[in-house]
Amino acid sequence: MRLPARHIILLAILGVLYPVHVRSALPMHENILKVSFGGAWQVDPYLSAFRYDGLEVGIGNEWWQDFRRKDTLTSWSHVGRLDLRAMRLLNPPKTNAYYAFGGHAGWGAYYRWQPLRQLQIHVGPYLELDYLARMHNTQVNKPYSMDLGIDIEAMAGISYSFAAKHTSYRLRYLVRANLLGYEYMPDYWQSYYEITEGVAARHLCSGMWNRWMLRHEITLDFQFPHSTWRLGVEHEYLRYGTRDMDYLRQQVHLIVGCIFRYRMHPAVRFDAL
Amino acid sequence: MKRLIFILFPLLLLSCHSRNEIAYSWDPVYNIEVLWDIIDTKYCFVAEKGVDWDAVRNTYVAKAATIPQGDPVALFDLCASMLDSLHDGHVNIYTSFDVSRNAAWYDSYPRDFYPIQQSLYLHDYRIAGGLQYDTIDNGKIGYVYCPSFSTTISAANIHWVIKAFMGCKGLILDVRDNGGGDLSNAYRLAAAFFDKDTHVGYWNHKSGTGHFDYSSAERLTVKADDSPSKWLRPVVVLANRRTYSAANFFLDCMTQAGNAVIIGGVSGGGGGMPLSYEMPCGWTVRFSSVKMYNTNMQSIEEGIAPHLVVTTKQTDTKDQIIEKAIQIIQATTD
Repeated sequence: MRLPARHIILLAILGVLYPVHVRSALPMHENILKVSFGGAWQVDPYLSAFRYDGLEVGIGNEWWQDFRRKDTLTSWSHVGRLDLRAMRLLNPPKTNAYYAFGGHAGWGAYYRWQPLRQLQIHVGPYLELDYLARMHNTQVNKPYSMDLGIDIEAMAGISYSFAAKHTSYRLRYLVRANLLGYEYMPDYWQSYYEITEGVAARHLCSGMWNRWMLRHEITLDFQFPHSTWRLGVEHEYLRYGTRDMDYLRQQVHLIVGCIFRYRMHPAVRFDAL
Repeated sequence: MKRLIFILFPLLLLSCHSRNEIAYSWDPVYNIEVLWDIIDTKYCFVAEKGVDWDAVRNTYVAKAATIPQGDPVALFDLCASMLDSLHDGHVNIYTSFDVSRNAAWYDSYPRDFYPIQQSLYLHDYRIAGGLQYDTIDNGKIGYVYCPSFSTTISAANIHWVIKAFMGCKGLILDVRDNGGGDLSNAYRLAAAFFDKDTHVGYWNHKSGTGHFDYSSAERLTVKADDSPSKWLRPVVVLANRRTYSAANFFLDCMTQAGNAVIIGGVSGGGGGMPLSYEMPCGWTVRFSSVKMYNTNMQSIEEGIAPHLVVTTKQTDTKDQIIEKAIQIIQATTD
């Protein structure tokens, strides 16, 4: 393991040579219900030069399913997510607060490589819709604002399954980063004039030149006692760069989830009954 | 596994430091310096106010050095005094014990509004959202008082007011002592007096740290559809020096209405959209960051002159401005 890059290349080559191709199987459907809680930090230089920090809680649902073509599973699977989150952040003197409520809804497709029996590598595109309603009471005249955006992201992941002490485990690391997106800030919520003005009014084209987003998580799935659970940590990094300002937000959550796995039966046509 | 943790750990600890970040502090000199810098770089009227802002800094930093540490009231008074030099009603400091404000922009002007006089015309009135209304002059003229644009004025509110005045020759719309509020209410009320979309001015935004760093001007338009109910008969708008901010912008809109005459005194101005920021001690400072202009690209920060200057004194038995408005409507419709 002295040259991990070489190992990664080797695994990728093996993955291309030996893609996952389970024939004549019903697609596995995996559904995860989860709660998350953790901390968040933010610097919004448009409204304050303070770093705000505080707590965040959330709930979410995530599902994974293999793609099927006729009666054959392919090497592709798709994933959908819906997350709702609320956060409350305070400035250091605790004189002003920032409240936000929002969510993500996304869908993506992964190509799966299985270079080793216990190891899977995922790579694919992901489409995400973000919504965040914000109340920042520093802003005396217009405390409310909102963000609405859609992003095309690149995602990658690696999962490793193993057994220990009579229980099976799966360790997985997933990462997503934005490539290109569109942000909308409605006129009514006149808070961020300088950021939106001059860039086609309230419409902002975002990409790696002005917005950097990285979400990554490491999770451990395990059975206890007869159910499957998930524990994990998720980190989100978001940075906007506009003119002389850098908006920055980071969130770190602990994830606790319950996993339901089942196989989807092929749809039965009504007239066949 | 250890290697994986080593790869992930630095990512989890990515610094949240930003180049714009300041430290929490009660140091008077540091607070004065940051407050000065906020105004210097973000306030949109530094050049227009004609104040030697660099000299202000030298004066107040020296004064701050003499203030004892841990005396918030003394620091507040000093900050408020520094901001007073801008003579701007939109520049304030908000703390848990006081709000700084400047009165110089209206104190040296005639008061021109006395509720005791107004009550002769508006005593048994109806209220539709932010509008108080009744008929005067034996039902021939409608009188509407709009004390603030902070209270919502909906299209339905405007509809009911106009419906009540169907038999009237003209309308008096009184925005004296209206200190402003939500600009969307001003737009909606103005829309009742326009039968088509009308260009009423421009605004631009402070887009950099220099005193003349503005974005390109963007047109401001009253959209006729914002108020389906229309009043296209004569209207006299009453203003005084305390007609400010969103109400000042409303007057700017009404200068473009063909059927409107503005009488009273010059309005207070406040032709900038406010933004807020924080000082190192946690206090909020508000200031204008968006500059508004009339259709000739002239700033409306210093107020809008009426078509006809009329004053009313506290000793007058009737409100002379309302009386003049009644005369104007009678003259134009008889």
